[in-house]
Amino acid sequence: MSEHALWSQVRKAWAMLAGPRHVVDAGRPREPPGPAPLPVPPLRAEGFADEALPWLDAVYRFSLRLTRGDEAAADDVTQETFLRAHRFWHTFERGSNAKAWLFTICRHAYLQERRRAVRAGDEAAVPFDEEHVTARNAPVSAAADANLFHERLDEEVVAAIDSLPEPFRRVLVLSDLGDLQYHEIARVIEIPIGTVRSRLFRARRLLQDRLRAYATEAGIVSPRTSERDP
Amino acid sequence: MMGCHDVLDRLWDFLDAEVGPAEEAAIRRHLELCSRCYPQYVFRRAQLDLMRRVRDRVTMPPASRRALLLRILEQDRAGTPKGQV
Repeated sequence: MSEHALWSQVRKAWAMLAGPRHVVDAGRPREPPGPAPLPVPPLRAEGFADEALPWLDAVYRFSLRLTRGDEAAADDVTQETFLRAHRFWHTFERGSNAKAWLFTICRHAYLQERRRAVRAGDEAAVPFDEEHVTARNAPVSAAADANLFHERLDEEVVAAIDSLPEPFRRVLVLSDLGDLQYHEIARVIEIPIGTVRSRLFRARRLLQDRLRAYATEAGIVSPRTSERDP
Repeated sequence: MMGCHDVLDRLWDFLDAEVGPAEEAAIRRHLELCSRCYPQYVFRRAQLDLMRRVRDRVTMPPASRRALLLRILEQDRAGTPKGQV
């Protein structure tokens, strides 16, 4: 090896030892920016349009997962959430977390609807804590222009989320689809923050297992290479 | 410097921005150099990105959105009651 090549190798090795070798971006932004306000005429409920309505899609997504992909039911829950939020907007502490407040109302609206359905003997009602796999039969809306691979993958992800046991699924949805922080999730579903953390950890593990099974089945990864997240 | 065990234990919290600035910096320093933990970071980050992509593709159907906004406007004109939600 020439002297030049030797020094080049030494410099490369030194750079690897001395400086960062990997690119580490921040994970979730500490305070994710909220969505833009919706263009609506002025309302008497002051601030509702600017603080509550921008979370329409987020609440709809949460409803969709609560109802395990039933779009009509999610629509009803979202409508009820916002109508209720608007009726009682005067009780909302302005400047506090509107999103967490809306998610709490949404969860209560969903639970009330389920109880009503159970009381009415609606056989389609899904018991609260029953494990269920329904998303394959009821896929969520997908953008028409998305390519087939991503659509298929997204459906599998949604199916995997919906197949999680209820306590884990709810925490995962609030965190990863709802972008709520741990203390906000604790408030919405009224559990200690430590429980949020442990359930979220477990939910992500379970999700990995389900997605890995799909990837192996589809031949995307071989069984030997699909190792588990330690 | 934090060890691998501690970093892996706190990795989800790091990705969720649930750690303080000092711990965040320590984890970041570790990940920048550690060949064992960095792939775990990449893997978990990819999982979160996948979830976010799914999230961003689902929006309330326009007809439902319009219907809701009309109902809110109607309710707003009728006035709001007093009481707790």
